[in-house]
Amino acid sequence: MSEWEPKIVAFLCNWCSYGAADLAGVSRMQYPPNIRVIRIPCTGRMSPKFALAALRNGADGVWVSG
Amino acid sequence: MVLPDEYNQKMNDRKAIYKLYAQAIPGAFAIQKVDKAPCRLACPAGLNVQGYVQMVGQGKYKEALQIIMEDLPLPGVLGRICPHGCEDACRRCEVDQPVAIRDLKRLAADQFDPREIEIPKIDPRDERIAIIGSGPAGLSAAYQLARKGILSTIFEALPKAGGMLRVGIPDHRLPPEILDNEIEIITNMGVELKTNTPLSDDLTIDNLFDQGFKAVYLALGAHKGITLGVPGEQAEGVRQGVDFLREVNLSGSAPVGKHVAIIGGGNVAIDVARSAVRLGAESVQIIYRRTRTEMPAWEEEIQAAETENVSLTYLAAPQEVLVTDGKVTGLRCIRMELGEPDSSGRRRPVPVPGSEYDFAIDQLIPAIGQRPDLSSIDEVDGLEFTRWSTTEVDPITYATGREGVFAGGDLQTGPWVAIGAIAAGKEAAESIVRYLDGVDMTAGREPIVREEPVYRPVPKDEPIAARAKVQELSPEARKGNFNEVELGFSEKDGQAEAHRCLNCGYCCECYQCVEVCGAGAVTLETHLEQRELLDINVGSVILAPGFTPYDPSKLDFYGYGKNPNVITSMQFERMLSASGPTEGHVARPSDHKDPKKIAWFQCVGSRDQNRCDNKYCSSVCCMYAIKEAVIAKEHAGDDLDCAVFFMDMRTYGKDFERYYEGAKAQGIRFLRSKVHTIDTVPGSDDLSIRYVVESGELKTEVFDMVVLSVGLETSPEVVAMAKSLDVDLTPANFCDTSTFAPVDTSRAGVYVCGAFQGPKDIPTAVVDASASAAAAGELLCEARNTQTRTAEVIPEVSVTGDRPRVGVFVCNCGINISGVVDVPAVRDYAATLPYVEYVTDNMYTCSQDTQDNMTQIIKEKQLNRVVVAACTPKTHEPLFQETLTNAGLNKYLFEMVNIRNQDSWVHKNNPDIATQKAKDLVRMSVNKVALKQPLVESELNVDQTTLVIGGGIAGMTAALSLSRQGYETHLVERSGQLGGMATSLYRTWKGEDIQSGLTQLIAQVSAEKGLSVHLNAELDSVEGFVGNFKTIFAADNKKVEIEHGVTVIATGAGELTPNEYLYGEDDRVLTSLDLDRKMLADDAVFGKLNTAVFIQCVGSREPQRPYCSRVCCTHSIESALAIKERNQDADVYILYRDIRTYGERETLYQKAREAGVIFIRYDVENKPQVVKDGDRLAVRVTDHVLGLPMEITTDLLTLASAIVPYADQQLSQFFKIPLNDDGFFVEKHAKLGPSEFATDGVFLCGMAHYPKSIDESISQGKAAAARAVTLLAQENIFTSGEIATVDPQMCSSCGVCVSICPYSAPGFIPEDARMFAGKATINAALCKGCGLCVASCRSGAIHLNGFDNNQIFAMLDVI
Repeated sequence: MSEWEPKIVAFLCNWCSYGAADLAGVSRMQYPPNIRVIRIPCTGRMSPKFALAALRNGADGVWVSG
Repeated sequence: MVLPDEYNQKMNDRKAIYKLYAQAIPGAFAIQKVDKAPCRLACPAGLNVQGYVQMVGQGKYKEALQIIMEDLPLPGVLGRICPHGCEDACRRCEVDQPVAIRDLKRLAADQFDPREIEIPKIDPRDERIAIIGSGPAGLSAAYQLARKGILSTIFEALPKAGGMLRVGIPDHRLPPEILDNEIEIITNMGVELKTNTPLSDDLTIDNLFDQGFKAVYLALGAHKGITLGVPGEQAEGVRQGVDFLREVNLSGSAPVGKHVAIIGGGNVAIDVARSAVRLGAESVQIIYRRTRTEMPAWEEEIQAAETENVSLTYLAAPQEVLVTDGKVTGLRCIRMELGEPDSSGRRRPVPVPGSEYDFAIDQLIPAIGQRPDLSSIDEVDGLEFTRWSTTEVDPITYATGREGVFAGGDLQTGPWVAIGAIAAGKEAAESIVRYLDGVDMTAGREPIVREEPVYRPVPKDEPIAARAKVQELSPEARKGNFNEVELGFSEKDGQAEAHRCLNCGYCCECYQCVEVCGAGAVTLETHLEQRELLDINVGSVILAPGFTPYDPSKLDFYGYGKNPNVITSMQFERMLSASGPTEGHVARPSDHKDPKKIAWFQCVGSRDQNRCDNKYCSSVCCMYAIKEAVIAKEHAGDDLDCAVFFMDMRTYGKDFERYYEGAKAQGIRFLRSKVHTIDTVPGSDDLSIRYVVESGELKTEVFDMVVLSVGLETSPEVVAMAKSLDVDLTPANFCDTSTFAPVDTSRAGVYVCGAFQGPKDIPTAVVDASASAAAAGELLCEARNTQTRTAEVIPEVSVTGDRPRVGVFVCNCGINISGVVDVPAVRDYAATLPYVEYVTDNMYTCSQDTQDNMTQIIKEKQLNRVVVAACTPKTHEPLFQETLTNAGLNKYLFEMVNIRNQDSWVHKNNPDIATQKAKDLVRMSVNKVALKQPLVESELNVDQTTLVIGGGIAGMTAALSLSRQGYETHLVERSGQLGGMATSLYRTWKGEDIQSGLTQLIAQVSAEKGLSVHLNAELDSVEGFVGNFKTIFAADNKKVEIEHGVTVIATGAGELTPNEYLYGEDDRVLTSLDLDRKMLADDAVFGKLNTAVFIQCVGSREPQRPYCSRVCCTHSIESALAIKERNQDADVYILYRDIRTYGERETLYQKAREAGVIFIRYDVENKPQVVKDGDRLAVRVTDHVLGLPMEITTDLLTLASAIVPYADQQLSQFFKIPLNDDGFFVEKHAKLGPSEFATDGVFLCGMAHYPKSIDESISQGKAAAARAVTLLAQENIFTSGEIATVDPQMCSSCGVCVSICPYSAPGFIPEDARMFAGKATINAALCKGCGLCVASCRSGAIHLNGFDNNQIFAMLDVI
């Protein structure tokens, strides 16, 4: 059995962190493929319900960045 | 090819094909080219030398040969024997020695068999061509014809093919198998070769045409030796050099004497000599009539001959062959001396009378030249020959006088280099093709001569690198054989040699980019694209050419360019950047280690007229140095020690002083000092800095790195541009402007903005940019909307209530995505997802043809939701949304999946996991898109009336500009007169009279039609939002109601009334404005005063007001000079903390010091004391140099008191515009939005924003107008569809949304409304769609279109 890998849901602000994630790609930085990004218009949009829903649906971690 | 990357300040490399504007989106690539490299131009056959040298340098031998064989079918042959004129042209000679180009060509042919090079197949044509002679000209013609599908038959008189290559060059220079192999390249293409077939009576030109050959190419060469013309030449033992070599080359040997004399100085003479040595001659002597300098043979050949014991006799010529019994026994020579130059430019040899001498030989081989042997063609009709036996041809087409007969090579030129014959053959082939096609043979073939070719400059710091030498056979091993002497380069040596190439043409035209470009964007055609010159009719020109950073290598004591750890601030900026050469990691260049201590040196190339010519302050360096130090600490950690060495700290911008104080609190050290010397610490790359502090003490400290805070200057190119545009410059080469017209150049209709107007930071430059746009807008008001086009509106299909039909388009992005992610697998997976009706993958989904295709597919498959899995929505969402619109779908029925920037590019080494991630993301988006609804962008009219609040300089300027741009404008002023603070000001720092400028401005405002001025106005109420404001105010006690689309806030600021330094207690203590008013009134006090003192920073830069009032230093210095003008003998003192005369104001500071104004610095902890002793007014201050207290008795004390904002809370609430802690209004963006508010439709200018000078207020007044016009000109605006909406039935009227929204979009439905009174509602015009209210709504009443709860839950359901 392969080693356990966490699944992390990332809520990224469209204006900063999402753009930064794009820039990481443009710069060809390499990072682990464990995150699934959900773009939100602002971290102000982030609701505790989203974090709970993510965890309920099997996410091992929730990352909010903005 | 690799070049230093200018964008990264040459700290890393880029290719000749590169992203010209590195941060532009979408990014496009450019290819940097100049003229073709000189090596290529020097080559008779025009070989792309730079191209193949670069390929060899990369070990791409096959590609090198492909480039060579475009023009030359014999790379291994010419790689050995070419006289390489290209190397004489090589610009590497300016550094050291030329690149060993020929040997690199050979290396390519050594490493890859040229016979294996695939030659593009072309359908063969029926016509056949006869070629007479199989030398380089004939072979080249046959090769080039074959490449065009025309096959030929080569007729060769000798038993072996190759012409002079075969019989003129001995095997030790060109092994015969190399020639055989490369001739095979040509015969492999289907060319027929007939040896032992000379032209004769049985094979005439006429016969050839009769046999069906459509054209004949004569390339017979020049094989007939020229005789000496001395007595005895017919004797046995005298033999022509070409005949001797021919025999040696065909049979492997030839009769040779014991003592051989060879006459001549060319390569043939050397070849004969070296062959004679190999055939066993005991002594071999070359006799040449000039000196070695004039000798046409190559130096390396001469040296090789000497190595092989050939003796050379210079300045001698044969007079008679001494003959005994019909055999050569000796030679009589005469000494020569050099006279005047002859037609060849070489000095003519002249015999020295009486210097004859004899010596014994038994063989004489003249090698003084050769001519074509015309015996087989001299009778041919139409052919003409010169007196040198060469054939006459058209110089461009190589056509002879006989139709269908062409000639070239040595037959036409006389003896010349092989590469010349190669070129001739190629040209003849072109002519023959055109001849067969019946088209103009000359069209487009005139040689183009570039008088002054442009090349890549030789880098100043190009290191010396010796030219590599090829391996040679040892002299002992050469004896008695014809084994090849030169053994060529090893791969390693050759590649290193290739790297010596300076890439004179930038792009080497290797066309490797064309090979790999899957999108077909880079092609041979696009490669040829050049800058285009366009003529555009314009009504106005705006100059924004920017600045160039000062080059500190001119100041050698900084060690820039010598110690790698001394870098410029621009380089450090790139180092801090995540997209920079170190990806934001602070590493010192010498060893890439983390520095522990970094020093910044201020004023490098600024405020310095001794070591450079830039007297002015560059305005921005203090602030950027602090920023760099702060960010460096952020990146490298708190342990990093940052020290800034400075003279005056000029943090005069908005919030800059606070930042400076914050930096100090973070431990950044600021050392007020002068740097004395910088030395590299022996045995390391560390830097020892000796500096003098204010007290005069000399200190030494060692740093790991030094950053030079370089100044801004105007580049020579911009100076030239200004000259050509007839625009005046200041003495410092900035654009000359006046205070009341800060963006107008000296030429009407030409405006300026940015650092060309004067060194400035980003916000000021952005203000200028808008101001110049306003200036142009005023001028061209009538032309507005005369050149616009209206887009076609496609009717939208209703999808409401329809079952979702999702189309998924997966992009390969060339190999950007498909190189990692299994795109077909993602596509096929998408097809299995619910509601997906259509899937496909595209090479480039964003290409125009794919877009058109998508439009069709959406219509045909009746898709009503679209998902594109490709790059990032940040750049491409609008494009795909437009596609939806074109297909009649609401553009919000769309989702984008980021499988490039956030997947394939970042998980290169995990293709399986990246593919899984792509599937997951597609699944999430498909789930979301099904829930997406069509959204409406509501249309709002923009009222075309404007309101400007504040009648000072900024407000008047804004109002005037708006009115001049065609908008009805109302200007309201709280006082009874226009002019604001400017009414109290005397003179600008440029010496302009402010009152006359102000009077003129007021007159313009009063005279402006469509501009109404309301004095003594007081705001009563403001309602509405962008495009639709309603403001009620009382003016002169009358109530006025105005509906307006935009508002400009220009309420200004006032002067602090000081409560220290005896202000108000003694009439001699004034504020700056008091002083100006006295100046304006021409007060008598100035005539009789002995002493005047200014105290700076009164109320500014102190804990209760931690900002710099920006204008006071300049103001006090200007006032000090005005006092000096009135009373030269007056002692004037300025007590200051830092002098902040930024930009060219610095020259005023200098002028004041020259005029004898005394500047004394004080610390905020030790402020001056003002004492009154009877009638005597005195100021006590500690002298900053001596450290001793001093007392100045003064007649006048001027306090440069702070500028304080009105901090108008009511206005702030009326227009929902925030105030900062100091009471100034907060603009939309400190750098990029200085003249507008985050609240749409409200704009900002003047001192309400921050203290500023008149020119800056005028710029910002215009800027606010320009920003307002961008909105007004639209007449109608559309709100975004992705905004919040309230479900009033759920709303509990708690008001959280109203209080939390930064844009004041939510409000309550009025209590008297018919429905939902008191419930929240959101103004679509103000909502930015951030979702803050949605997340904070405790009732769940607010929804965010496009990012609603159900949509995000839908994504989370399938993570």
